[in-house]
Order: sequence, then structure tokens, then C-alpha cells
Amino acid sequence: MADVLNMVFRTFMSQTGLRKQPPVSPPPPAAGSSLLLGDRSLSRSVLLLAAVTAASELGMRVMFFTQTQIQSLPVSLQRCFPNLSPESLKKIKFSYPRTLDELLQQVASLHESTNMPPTPPSLIIVDRLEGFLCGAGGSSSSHSGSHPAELSSAAHLSALLCDTAAFLTQVLEQRGSSSGPCRLIASFLSEADTGRASRDPSGADPILSVLDRYFQVRCTLDRDEGYEATAAGVQEVWHIYLSGRGMAEASFAKDSEDKPGVAQEWQLFVFPDGLMEFKLV
Amino acid sequence: MRSMLPAVAEQLFRDIQKTYQETSQIPNDLLIALRFVFGSCALQALDLVDQRSVTCLSSPSGRKAFQVTGGSGTLYTCFLSCHYCPCPAFAYTVLRRNEGLLCKHILAVYLCQAMAVTQQESVSDQQMSTLLSRTAAL
Repeated sequence: MADVLNMVFRTFMSQTGLRKQPPVSPPPPAAGSSLLLGDRSLSRSVLLLAAVTAASELGMRVMFFTQTQIQSLPVSLQRCFPNLSPESLKKIKFSYPRTLDELLQQVASLHESTNMPPTPPSLIIVDRLEGFLCGAGGSSSSHSGSHPAELSSAAHLSALLCDTAAFLTQVLEQRGSSSGPCRLIASFLSEADTGRASRDPSGADPILSVLDRYFQVRCTLDRDEGYEATAAGVQEVWHIYLSGRGMAEASFAKDSEDKPGVAQEWQLFVFPDGLMEFKLV
Repeated sequence: MRSMLPAVAEQLFRDIQKTYQETSQIPNDLLIALRFVFGSCALQALDLVDQRSVTCLSSPSGRKAFQVTGGSGTLYTCFLSCHYCPCPAFAYTVLRRNEGLLCKHILAVYLCQAMAVTQQESVSDQQMSTLLSRTAAL
């Protein structure tokens, strides 16, 4: 389910881990939607790695929606792909909707022929869902409300993204494209992770519960503040956990069809110069 | 939308489809099962089916969506591949309270599909985009 993310983690693996692993090969294609949870700037770097890896290594067309301009590409990309061709970067289309309404309109119109190049996108990325959902539904409060209108906005956006990915998968199949199915990756920072108290007495973010209905895989970035981070001599150590019903389906498929499995946990080392390295746990 | 339903609901729609194809009726035992699985919205959904309230909209691009005309004439756009309805019941009962699988409009879509009584209508690609992105019911 999280095949593109796993491809990213394997492409940018640490050299010590790489020696033990077979060379990176394209993942088995799998339709699916992944939600990246955690630190905003790290999530964006992972999304950019995903976009460039999908475009350059897998030849996929990518739609990248974000509210803020991309100033530079992560250092890891420049190191790992020193000869990155402009042609592969052209496969990524960046779009900058300012509001939820603009994002909904842009995603909803992806099926129109004017927006559909000869090969439609097979990866849709949305950076910082919370930025679009903040105050959605007519509420002026912060994003993590349990007001039905806010939840409905989160559900509408998620459902539209999933339905669009399903439609584009169908188009890619009809056109005999090898880059299908169309995958979806979005990032979201839950209010619980920003340190502000949730209004839900159970402590769960109601918006996140809604997103979980639509996204099959959760990819959680969790910072390791412990001893290992200091000992490794790096700036930051993060744990990456893959979970959700998509993972359960993937492991079921693995058992039944002997497909390569999808790892459940990774470590991410961020070095002082910004270099990111992943390590399989 | 099938994969978003529990097995019992999927089986129920298959039974309704088979029986309705053969007899053009839904027998009492299936109506009771429908009420048992979906609660009070089952009756309201059947009312929407009786009024042929569900239309499948298609645009030249091949994109499709369902439009359900509510009791008061309000139009609700629902997606083909996953559950979403802009009605208040979906937001409150399904999303916020997590007390129901779906609202009467989405249930009506399932029933109309099973009974093959969905109306068909063509719209332009631009109209389809507007309908899919509209945040509120019409």
C-alpha cells in the first residue's frame, strides 16, 4: 500500500544498511493512500523525496499541492541524484491553492481533458492538510475541532482525493499505462502533536479519526529524544511507523501470494547538514 | 464503494439484488435485515428509492458521481468509490458520533444500484468538477 514511501526509504537508506540490502528495485505497484503524520518540515522533505523519486526512478507523473512555495529541494536529493535531469522534474507539477475551496476545485477538475496530459498523474501529493482544513466549515477556531462542519470538510477533501485517485487509476489502466495505479500521499499535523490540548476529552484528534476513514496507511514520524540520538552523532533521530488497514491488507497479500512484504518500522537520521538517511528496523 | 462496507452489509445488497432481479420485490426478511443493519435510516432510504431520487451523473471524461435528491428537494453529491455525503446526518452521526455506517442518501445509492433503478444523466466536465468540489448541498 505504501509502496512509494517504501521506495523512498530504501532509496535514501544509510550506507551501512545498504550493504546488507539488495539493490533498490521498483516496488510492486499497489493502489493506495498514505497519510504522513508528524513534524511539518520533515513531512514536507519526505513528500518532496517521494515526488522526485516517483518521477525520476519510476517515471510517474506527480501532482504536488501545497500552500507554501518550495524554496529548495532536500539536500539528500542533491546527494543521491547528483545528475537529476530536468526532464524528470518536469514530471512533477506543483500547484499552490491558497484555500480549501481552491484545493477542492483543482483536485475536482483533474479529470478534465485540459488538465489531463497524455499520461495522467499517478501520484497525488498534498502537503499539510491541516493548513487547508484550519477553520474550514465556517469555524474560526483551530483545525482540530469536533464541529460536524469541520469534520465534513475533512471528509469531503479526503473522499474527493480518494475518488480522484480511483478515477485516474481507471484511466491509466484503460490507456495501458505502466505507471498506474494512481497513489495518494498527504501530510497532516495533528493538534495533539503541536502541544495544544485537543477539545476531544478522549485525547484523540477528531479530524485525524475522519482522515483515518479514507487513508489506508498511516506513516507516523516520531522524534527519538533518547540516548541513541546523541550517541549516533546526528542532529535528529526519528522513528517511522507504518500502520493502518492498508498494512494489514499488504501483509495478508504477502502471506497469500508470497509478495515482498512492506516493512512496518524505519529509523530516520537527520544530519547537521540536512542529509536524511533511512534505516530499516 | 463496496469495500467500505462490512461483509454483512455487502451480502445483504447482493441478496437484495438477486431477489429484486427475480421478483421485482424486496421480501420482508430482507427488509427486516436492512432495518437491523442500518437502523432508522433504512426506511427513509427506501422512501428515496421509491421516489427514484438517485441519479448517476456522467461526464465526457468518464468521471461519474451520484446525485441524491433529498426529501425537501436538496441535492446531495456522493462519490462513486468512497463514502461521503454533505448532509448533516453524515457529518453528525457517521463522522462525529461514529454511530452509523452511512446516511440515508448513501444507503439509497446502494439500494438503487442493487435494484437497478438509478437514473442516468450526462453533464459537462466542468459541471462535474463544480459538483464534486462544492462544499455544501444544493
